[in-house]
Amino acid sequence: MSEKLLDVQNLTMKFGGLIAIDNLSFSAKKDHITSIIGPNGAGKTTVFNCLTGFYKATAGSMFLNKENNKMDLKKFSDFKVAQKAGVARTFQNIRLFPQMSVLENMMVAQHNKLMTASGFSILGLINSKSYLQKEKEAMEISKYWLDIIGLTNRADDNAGDLPYGDQRKLEIVRAMCIEPHLLCLDEPAAGLNAKESAELNKLLKFIKNDKKTGILLIEHDMSVVMGISDHVVVLNYGKKIFEGTAKETKNSPEVIEAYLGTED
Amino acid sequence: MGKDLIQKSLKDSLFTGIIALALFGPIVGLRTVAKNEVLVVEPKWFVVLLIVAFCAVGRFFINIYSYKKEQRRGEPSSLGKVISNFLDEKGAQIAIAAIAFSVIFPFMPFADRYWMDIAIMMMTYIMLGWGLNIVIGLAGLLDLGYVAFYAVGAYSYALFAIHFGWSFWICLPIAGLFAGMFGILLGFPVLRLRGDYLAIVTLAFGEMIRILLLNWYELTKGPDGLTGIPRPSFFGLPFKRYPDEGVETFHTFFGLEYDPMQRIIFLYYLILVLALITNAFTIKIRRLPVGRAWEALREDEIACKSLGVNPRNTKLTAFAIGAMFGGFAGSFFATRQAFISPESFTFIESAIIVAIVVLGGMGSQTGVVLSTIFLIGLIEVFRDFESYRMVAFGGAMVLIMIFRPRGILAKRKPTITMGKHG
Repeated sequence: MSEKLLDVQNLTMKFGGLIAIDNLSFSAKKDHITSIIGPNGAGKTTVFNCLTGFYKATAGSMFLNKENNKMDLKKFSDFKVAQKAGVARTFQNIRLFPQMSVLENMMVAQHNKLMTASGFSILGLINSKSYLQKEKEAMEISKYWLDIIGLTNRADDNAGDLPYGDQRKLEIVRAMCIEPHLLCLDEPAAGLNAKESAELNKLLKFIKNDKKTGILLIEHDMSVVMGISDHVVVLNYGKKIFEGTAKETKNSPEVIEAYLGTED
Repeated sequence: MGKDLIQKSLKDSLFTGIIALALFGPIVGLRTVAKNEVLVVEPKWFVVLLIVAFCAVGRFFINIYSYKKEQRRGEPSSLGKVISNFLDEKGAQIAIAAIAFSVIFPFMPFADRYWMDIAIMMMTYIMLGWGLNIVIGLAGLLDLGYVAFYAVGAYSYALFAIHFGWSFWICLPIAGLFAGMFGILLGFPVLRLRGDYLAIVTLAFGEMIRILLLNWYELTKGPDGLTGIPRPSFFGLPFKRYPDEGVETFHTFFGLEYDPMQRIIFLYYLILVLALITNAFTIKIRRLPVGRAWEALREDEIACKSLGVNPRNTKLTAFAIGAMFGGFAGSFFATRQAFISPESFTFIESAIIVAIVVLGGMGSQTGVVLSTIFLIGLIEVFRDFESYRMVAFGGAMVLIMIFRPRGILAKRKPTITMGKHG
């Protein structure tokens, strides 16, 4: 099965006179990890910001295939992309809720579901059975993910007190709590050591294979990109300069010149 | 090293003395008095000298103290920490003891009219502090115009009670509703603002409401204020010595002697119940999704958006619910005073409530109680010293900020823990 999960056509983003993304077209498949790589300032994060509603794209189209239901991502503004379309993202500089516990972080991610269950707080205030049941389920989902990243025993500690590598992993599983169709990860391996990167690879493969969630990945760490990507899109100055499998990318002369460099 | 420290401290305290002299010299030292119908300046250098000496010596000891503290670094045992650890461990018992004390307070031998009035005032501030804690402590929205909702509550209670003759128990929810609506009204334009900008706009909003009350003479009687606001009744039984024909009063119904204290005690219990409802509501809603979303919004708004949390609705509910409790407190204020005017709703009130919340420790319910007792109590203790009260108030704030920079009780408890469901 390899339907197009995400289809981006002629995406352009201009900030005044600066063209951050220039006529970019690419697609991502459901059971794939699609990596976007390129030098600093190539417009990778801007692509994410357009996809997730933080920026309004100047031109072009972005469609998400959600269970054979084509959704136009341009129609959703910021929080609705996550709420309605099911596109989750993480950030280059980790954005957890540092003063809240690990478990609370996971519960906030299930906000919309719980808000409905709590009858917009009215059923929750009177301790209704149905709400307590839903809350319990949400806790079980949290525990399921925390078990996977091995943080269950730290569930009641403040998220800000966790080691850096654990914070990265927590941010990813927190994003998974909204049950997304597409998960956008912005440099998840930044600042991780070799062992942590290997664990990250395992986690991402698990999400792709077992959760059937498409992953869009921005990354500079080539061991991660080449190790797990099914498809690579290379950007430079906002333009796509290459697209192909990891192996093809590694050997492409344009990519080597613009980004990877030669080993001499 | 010790000699060096003393030398440095002496230099520092001399400098402090000079600043104190420059500040207090003109403010305290030069006083104008009317003598033979002429204003003359009467110097009070002795008082100035005392103040300057106090500042200089105090500074010297603070230096020595903080030096010693630096030596002790690594073994944390400041007084504040001991107190907050104690409160963390015995929190539940202390809360029960405090509530029990508040319940029996009116029957204490020393609880005369003066003490009851102070207790009612403190309880009002505690309730306002708890209400504002939702907006500032949980949702992290710095609201400097909270007194506006207090005013809206007071005026809507007064107007409905005067013009329609509705009873307190009908007007109370209406006043809360009106205040909540004003909360949403304020919320909409400030949705995109944060921090300093939000503070400025809310401050302006508070002033707007006050100026509106001052100038809309047809409705609010402007600076004359509203008089003759009905007193609350005990479920229909008024507190009156000479009731109208055929009306049963509280003291005749229960076969008691008439005593004006009965009404005061009733008011005390009324505000106690209102405050406890505010507290119970806040504790409960903090554990619901909306409460967690408030705190998440305080921590990181962008992360909230990326998780599909609607920041607009979340902020508006915080504003509305906080304002609603302000409105409840306002209608209590109106019925207690029987007279309200815009004078009662100046910026200083907002500032005191914000100070209570911030000094108590953002988001801490017990902290609000402690800082109210500390700040309002101090203002009362210094009542005989007239304008020096505010100096004491400021001093108390400085002390708390030195010893507990994050508020009296800064430790936050998670709203949900693993292994405990609901």
